[in-house]
Amino acid sequence: MTTATDAPPLGTTRWPDWTAIGAVMRKDVTAIRRAKAVVLPMLIVPILLMVVLPMLIGAAAVNQRGPDITRLLDSLPGDLAAPILELPPEEHLVVLVLGYLLAPLFLIVPLMVSSVLAADAFAGEKERRTLETLLHLPITDRDLFLAKVFSSVIPAIVVSWAGFVAFAIVSNTVAWPVMGRIFVPTGLWLVMIFWVAPAVATLGMGVMVRVSARATTTQEANQLGGAVVLPLIFLAVGQSTGLLLLDAPFALMVGAIIWAVALWLTARGARRFTRDKMAARS
Amino acid sequence: MTAIHTDALTRRFGDELAVDALTLDVAPGEVLALLGPNGAGKTTTVRLLNGVLSPDSGISRVLGLDPATQGTDVRRRTGVLTENAGLDDRLTARENIMAAARIRRVPDADRRVSTLLDQFGMSDRADDRVAGFSTGQRKRVALARSLVHSPEILFLDEPTSGLDPEATRDVVDLIGRLATDHGRTVLLCTHFLGEAGRLADRMAVLDRGHLLAWGSPGELAAELFGDLTVDFDLGSPADHELLGRIRAERGVRSAEMSPAGVVTRVEDRDAVPAIVSLLTAEGRSVFGATPRPPTLEDVYFAVLADRGEVAAPPRVSDAALWAVADSREAMP
Repeated sequence: MTTATDAPPLGTTRWPDWTAIGAVMRKDVTAIRRAKAVVLPMLIVPILLMVVLPMLIGAAAVNQRGPDITRLLDSLPGDLAAPILELPPEEHLVVLVLGYLLAPLFLIVPLMVSSVLAADAFAGEKERRTLETLLHLPITDRDLFLAKVFSSVIPAIVVSWAGFVAFAIVSNTVAWPVMGRIFVPTGLWLVMIFWVAPAVATLGMGVMVRVSARATTTQEANQLGGAVVLPLIFLAVGQSTGLLLLDAPFALMVGAIIWAVALWLTARGARRFTRDKMAARS
Repeated sequence: MTAIHTDALTRRFGDELAVDALTLDVAPGEVLALLGPNGAGKTTTVRLLNGVLSPDSGISRVLGLDPATQGTDVRRRTGVLTENAGLDDRLTARENIMAAARIRRVPDADRRVSTLLDQFGMSDRADDRVAGFSTGQRKRVALARSLVHSPEILFLDEPTSGLDPEATRDVVDLIGRLATDHGRTVLLCTHFLGEAGRLADRMAVLDRGHLLAWGSPGELAAELFGDLTVDFDLGSPADHELLGRIRAERGVRSAEMSPAGVVTRVEDRDAVPAIVSLLTAEGRSVFGATPRPPTLEDVYFAVLADRGEVAAPPRVSDAALWAVADSREAMP
């Protein structure tokens, strides 16, 4: 008897099997798109951070109702403050807030989206009792892990980049009366978008992989994994209060550290991601 | 080559022995029922055979492949229906099956999935999300998914659990056709003896990981029941005096009252004419004498009772039978 598939011949399993990886990703993304509880936070947070906030700040700057930040700028390190102080005073608030201070807050978007998606992809399979079916399919442990990683990280990066495009459009538009030119993206933003955001998305996923191994529901995984958001919130608060300041070189270094931690977590997660362990726990 | 072979296959979870030195063979095209109560090790056995779990010791071969090291290759050629259907509620019936078809690289998958949905009577719900499906509909979709790549071996884990009688009949009929018409090897895990009796060529009785018995129901009956049960229809229950006389006949091991007369266990069929003669001499009309081979249920409980796993099946007391007989007579 022959099987009605065009699967590779026995003993010649290719790796990675992009067909299988793509099929799992397609299934996950289709399912996620229909889960309002997952999609709404993924939309609301980026809209608040990347659209509403720059609109309010831009409007305040345009109407000259913003706080006097001259003292704040005077207290900043010269490297960071100098390019801003060279600008006309009416541009200070816009450039400082939209060009620098919001950058760490932006990292909440890839972090949150990848965490939520990873919780759904890993713990969610257990909660929905669909994990065992997946384990009985002809996909290797590594390919299944890769599919779940990509299902979490790639949409997170796409949402982040889309959010940034919206942010850039809104910021340049609302600040146009003051700036009279396109000023976003700044160098810091470019580093954030292309270097730090993917690292943060991978970090969120990596944490969730570890957490989901023990959690039985997505809610439990999200609660346990929420601890990872705290350091980034501290980073954002520190930045916005002047305690901690990011410029592009520093952001590059922070990104490198986040990448290292994220890849270490992911590698450890991959080693523990075996059918045997998952089936034994289910 | 056997379709499935295991030799001393063993798996523990911590201190708990889930499968204990399981040794069995399943021939191509055979339906083997794995019987046993919850926690007997049936699901663990399927997971071991499909390379989802690794054994602690022992070996297994599925279609000549080692599931422990060639799991992906094994899973390409097997289909599994898990106890819960394992469908993603957010996807439609078609999408659930298509996901498996894509992973399995089924050629012309769209047409194949449509054909299966049609065969399983789910065409009209194909593009509905499965969240609103009944248990029976879910089972049908899951069964279609397990067949999407025309597997050589089917592992069916409690395929009728949660189904109403009509859906149970449909699923059992379907599994029967898969085995008989399409020659698929089927490993059927169940604790419903009725479906096992209808479908299985052989049965393996598991309990707490141990293989208690293995063989065809007939073989096991011959091993466990060295005698023959015969129902005598006398039109009414036999009285105690008559039962005593029957028990005194040569070759009769036991005689118990039944609503229609008496149920005897005899050494062989040669004892039957003597009992009929006795009954006739006692003035009782004998409307029938029917040999009753042990049912799968008889065999199953006898296996468990033989190993001290459960008490022997309860027998109906004489008093209860008389009460039934009295109530019948009182009926208009």
